[in-house]
Amino acid sequence: MIKKWFLLITLFLIVIISTYGQSLFENNITKPDSVKNRTIEFNGYARASAFGGTKLFDYSSVFGEFCLKSKLSKNRTFLYADLRFRKGLNFDKEYSDFQLKEVYAGYQSNQFDLFLGNQIVTWGRTDGFNPTNNITPNDYFFLTSDFDDQKLSNFMLRMKYRFTPVIEIELIGIPFYSPSVYRYDLFNINGNVIYDKAILPEKTFKNASAATRLNFEFPKIGFSVSYFRGYNPFSGFNVQSIDWSTGTPLITNAATAYLKNTGGLDFALPINSWIIRGEAAYNITENYDRNMYIPNPDISYVIGLEHCFLGITTIFQYVGKYTVDFSELSEPVLPNPSNTAAQMQYAENMIIYKSSIFNRKMFYQQEETNRAVTLSLNKDFFYDKCKIELSGYYNITSEELMIRPKITGKITDMLSASIGGSYMKGPKNSIFNYSAPVLSGFFTELKANF
Amino acid sequence: MKKKIIITAAVLIFLTASAYSQTAREISDKSSNNITFKSMETALTLKIYDAKGRIRIRQVTTASKKFGAVTKTVMKFTAPADVKGTAILIYDYENKDDAMWIYMPAIRKIRRIISSEKSKNFMGSEFTNADMSKPNMNDFNYKILSSETYKNRLCYKIETTCKNEDIEDEYGFSKKIVWIDKTTYLCYKIEFYDFDGELHKIQTIEQYKKQANGKYFAFYMKTENKQNGRQSVMSINKFQLGSALNENKFTPAMLEKL
Repeated sequence: MIKKWFLLITLFLIVIISTYGQSLFENNITKPDSVKNRTIEFNGYARASAFGGTKLFDYSSVFGEFCLKSKLSKNRTFLYADLRFRKGLNFDKEYSDFQLKEVYAGYQSNQFDLFLGNQIVTWGRTDGFNPTNNITPNDYFFLTSDFDDQKLSNFMLRMKYRFTPVIEIELIGIPFYSPSVYRYDLFNINGNVIYDKAILPEKTFKNASAATRLNFEFPKIGFSVSYFRGYNPFSGFNVQSIDWSTGTPLITNAATAYLKNTGGLDFALPINSWIIRGEAAYNITENYDRNMYIPNPDISYVIGLEHCFLGITTIFQYVGKYTVDFSELSEPVLPNPSNTAAQMQYAENMIIYKSSIFNRKMFYQQEETNRAVTLSLNKDFFYDKCKIELSGYYNITSEELMIRPKITGKITDMLSASIGGSYMKGPKNSIFNYSAPVLSGFFTELKANF
Repeated sequence: MKKKIIITAAVLIFLTASAYSQTAREISDKSSNNITFKSMETALTLKIYDAKGRIRIRQVTTASKKFGAVTKTVMKFTAPADVKGTAILIYDYENKDDAMWIYMPAIRKIRRIISSEKSKNFMGSEFTNADMSKPNMNDFNYKILSSETYKNRLCYKIETTCKNEDIEDEYGFSKKIVWIDKTTYLCYKIEFYDFDGELHKIQTIEQYKKQANGKYFAFYMKTENKQNGRQSVMSINKFQLGSALNENKFTPAMLEKL
């Protein structure tokens, strides 16, 4: 009799434990194979995207794309792949492309995560301008309706350890450098300038990048401190050679990577119906006084306010940069106009001077203190079937302006369409003045998700 | 015999008096507590009909658990494809603004969002964010209007009015009239009135099922917008009393892992 009761109680406990040990939430979102406890998920989209109508290119970026995202999970391990097949025109040139947007394997538990492979990492709490985000390179000339399409993955080992549910440390090791894509060659700056292959750091252990971030996410405030040491994915360019053989100088430039150390912090602080976001980074570089492609050390910062006015989500940001050890560049002078050798020397000095100025513009280090403001407005209409976004950027220092309106409509649950434009304007010889003929245009996209 | 009648009458009078002595606030509190769970998990389908009857379907999985004074809720969108993977975490405090975070796979970032917009529609439906969490009972004034039979149930008809304009703006209505069953204290119907006092929406709640802990859970909710002809239906596909998820799972860092 006692044995019978014991068996019944044991059976009862097993049923209770097994019932409460499972989570409807977790099972419902993963739908595990009941036999092997393995899940495989597929999703993705097909889209047609067109960006064009710029001054220099009718078809800046026109393509059809198929995206397949898959995740295979078993217990705490998983494999993830995001594959893109693309065919179209890029700045009037035909191409077809297969891209491994992200491919990595991982292990996840409550306290510890580990990921290895090609990943996209985005750090920082502000919008659009993230001084602490130095991990992921971008293809700034992959033009679509969504800036996030520009993110590129790089190979890395990434680990996260949570001391408590709201305090975690992230460690990243990037064994070799992946640069951002910046098409200097598209700028119609001077017919006598050509761009050579980028000069990248050797793929050696000493050139690896490392980064760490200690993140706190409390209900009242979220903040983090971070550190990055490595080659900046966004590089300047160097003058490689000046060829006088044809009588006029033929300048060969090359994008050249540089090493930097960055200490960063960011925060998001909700106060009633407002959110204050901030982000700052202290970038340390060396040999900047001898190499035009290396920026001066600087302190970059962003402070932003988010609030909803009449249903319009409004984000205003002040973007600043203080350039350490800043000194004005002196324009070369021609000491003896009748001396041919002096003329050539003067021309070369002038090329170096102009190129250095251009690099400073690229790094937003034109003045000791550089200031800009951004405004982002977005509102959903017709019960989330339509979304209107308007982003604006104005650089107070250089007087450059960018406006980007966009309308997205959901035709069905699976099919969406967007249309918009990008308008850039700047004073003569400013970056936006050079960029506008390439980047000021219209875009449209039709996307079917599955 | 006379004594028996007197006692019976006295008991009846006492019961009636005690019933009427309940204030509208007490009835509303009872009704609210009757459907408040310390922890649960659900899988739900949201059908959104426009004025022409065209339908859009959303699927969401939720888990909710109370830790001390805060109820933490995590929602994961499982369909349609364009929102699949999006996850929202809400820390619902009794007497202060909620804390909210969202994770969208496309931007690969966990982002803190403004939580005060309870009046905003939930996923493009006629339900609002306020429908997804327990309201702060202190935000309203309560008044019993009458007793009324609704679908064969004798109900208290209670008017619930926002205490001030800020609260009206937050919830998106000026007042609501609530039908609460006198026997079970379950709410079966709510009429929402706009800022001009015009009827805006009617919400009906059905298919209450009593759970093992004695509380009730509604498996069907419908909200009809009387001003534009739209309606939304939320039906619970799966319900689990209690949640096996530990507190770690209700943290922003976990949103991208769900």
